[in-house]
Amino acid sequence: MRLILALVALLPLPALADSTRSIVDEHILPGFAALAETTQTLQNTAAETCTRGDPLNTAYNAAFDAWITVSHLRFGPTEQEDRAFALAFWPDSRGATPKALSRLIANADPVAETADTYAEVSIAARGFFALEFLLYDAAFADQGDADYRCQLIQTITADIAAVSDAMQQDWQNDYAAKLIEPSADSPYRTPAEATQELFKALNTGLQFTSENRLGRPLGTFDKPRPNRAEARRSARSLRHVELSLTSLKSLALALAADAPDIQEKLDQRFTKAIDVAARVDDPSFAGVADPGTRIKVEALQSAVESIRQAVALDLGPRLGVSVGFNALDGD
Amino acid sequence: MKTTPMFLAPLALALATPAFAVEKADVLTNYANIAAAKYADSVTTAQRLQTAVDALIANPSAEALEDAKAAWLASRVPYQQTEVYRFGNAIVDDWEGKVNAWPLDEGLIDYVDGSYGGPSDENAFAVLNVVANPNFTLSGSEVDAAEITPALLEETLHEADGIEANVATGYHAIEFLLWGQDLNGHGPGAGNRPWTDYAAGDACTGGNCDRRADYLKASTDLLVSDLEWMAAQWIDGGAARATLMENEDAGISAILTGMGSLSYGEQAGERMRLGLMLNDPEEEHDCFADNTHNSHYYDGLGIQNVYLGEYIRIDGTSVSGASLADMVAATDAALDAEMQGKLSTTMMALGRIKSAAEAGFAYDQMLEQGNAGGEALIMGGVNGLVDQTRSIERVVAALGVDAIEFEGSDSLDNPEAVFE
Repeated sequence: MRLILALVALLPLPALADSTRSIVDEHILPGFAALAETTQTLQNTAAETCTRGDPLNTAYNAAFDAWITVSHLRFGPTEQEDRAFALAFWPDSRGATPKALSRLIANADPVAETADTYAEVSIAARGFFALEFLLYDAAFADQGDADYRCQLIQTITADIAAVSDAMQQDWQNDYAAKLIEPSADSPYRTPAEATQELFKALNTGLQFTSENRLGRPLGTFDKPRPNRAEARRSARSLRHVELSLTSLKSLALALAADAPDIQEKLDQRFTKAIDVAARVDDPSFAGVADPGTRIKVEALQSAVESIRQAVALDLGPRLGVSVGFNALDGD
Repeated sequence: MKTTPMFLAPLALALATPAFAVEKADVLTNYANIAAAKYADSVTTAQRLQTAVDALIANPSAEALEDAKAAWLASRVPYQQTEVYRFGNAIVDDWEGKVNAWPLDEGLIDYVDGSYGGPSDENAFAVLNVVANPNFTLSGSEVDAAEITPALLEETLHEADGIEANVATGYHAIEFLLWGQDLNGHGPGAGNRPWTDYAAGDACTGGNCDRRADYLKASTDLLVSDLEWMAAQWIDGGAARATLMENEDAGISAILTGMGSLSYGEQAGERMRLGLMLNDPEEEHDCFADNTHNSHYYDGLGIQNVYLGEYIRIDGTSVSGASLADMVAATDAALDAEMQGKLSTTMMALGRIKSAAEAGFAYDQMLEQGNAGGEALIMGGVNGLVDQTRSIERVVAALGVDAIEFEGSDSLDNPEAVFE
């Protein structure tokens, strides 16, 4: 662990409020609108067919893409009522998701009858990762009763759509204004506090991608852990890294709008990382034990770390905000 | 990175006003004094545990087991209050896993119930059961565990196979050896290990009572020596104190980093909210002893007493002096009032969890799916901790110290890479 001391810049940029407004209008609101739309399509598709394969997989992938694209925005409506966890509980180091699903299936638990009642169950049995087990994992292909499994798939998709819709509504109708117009009664007292929230989302998103999406499967050289890759069952592990980098890039460049030198540096580093990602030919990181593949995944992690450096050491001080505390603090 | 002395000037001037002068060095000294007292108290209570464990092993009885449990519970009171030192002080964080690692796959250590399951995807040694097996293979090499020693636990078994859940040492390993698994699910009641698990000859239950006693003895001795080591780091001339005092701004930043990281990511997130969202009674911090309400309470108290700069020792004496609160008050009195108010609110909320648990509403029950009262109690604590973190961030901004933490970042350990 290292502690680095930096002094908060004394003169915050005058255009902070403008940049927050454009981030809300161009990054946040469109992202949650896309999530609401694709999850509704997923629910409708599952209502018609719960058979593994297309068209359900296509709808699943589109909706999961939309979530990963906004998943770094974990504050306000995203954090209320456990919503973000209810959409995506990962990492799951104790295997809670398969355990919770097996228990529901074994008991044909009627809690799965409606999305309303399902909102009470453990987050481990909700959201995209639970659905992934049901749609892709061999162990769940024929576990228990087929009708119950179908009902479970339909209910989980309906729950995902309901949670996504609630987030979208709250962002649109309530929280966007709070972020744009700080005041004594708002969660943000000053434009600088709103900027810090967005800056923290950027930093935390990069940290999550580096430490969890890449670091967990990489493990150590002697002990690579391919089974710890995110969404490996649907072969989406690398895709999540690419989606998050693309989305975080747009947020970073918008935050740096009034600092062209830093914006250019960030642009270069993001572009490089996205380039490196495109050359990793291993969608589920199954090859982290293979030296040829491993070196590419490690290079990708270094590229993400170099973005984090620029964000923490250049962008933060220029904006006059610190990285503060996030959910990844601790052990 | 470089900090230009020029930028330091405005803050230094603001703090130079005589009537409000609070010297950073005094705040840091008091913070280190409190650490020294908390770790010394942790040593004292761990030695009492050691005495009780020795008595249990010499003359196993139901009463001796209860005495050892009572000593373990008492030892948690000062130790949990030290947790606020973890995340800001690398020397504590690097060491902490030896004494307080959690959660653990307890099947590594001793027998477990059939419902526990076998080896998992994540951990091939989840049911190794060292107590029952004097020889086994670990990551390809034969291990001779005929003698259970502190060295075996510390060097071979702890985090075996690179898996963090293989916890072989510390408070929670001892807790498991005293209480056993809590098989009550969401019902009230802690683990119920019979005292005869330590009995001699035919009276022995659970098998291998002598090896179990050896394990308990070795892990308790190790806990005492590990705590003694840490207590020594905080006395005058100790490494932790020296590092803290090296750079005053970095020291103040370390205090705030410890407070914020424990409040938010660790306690509110990992320890409280996650367990609630998973409705999992195993997501209890002190799950074998059903002591989680105290674990949370004393963690919160540690955060509060570090800010206020006053710690009440286990013998009732007080350690106090210049505090972060004094420093914030001199810079922005309203912010200090806000911070103190938030810390008190959190302690009220954590106190409600504690009093409900002590009156019979176990933490396991609070975690149960659909238990609205339990959810409200736990979320009260979570919300208080989350809310106080926002104020800690405001304090960071007001004092002009910015804590940036990178764990194990190669490029930061190699400054050239930053400017590639």
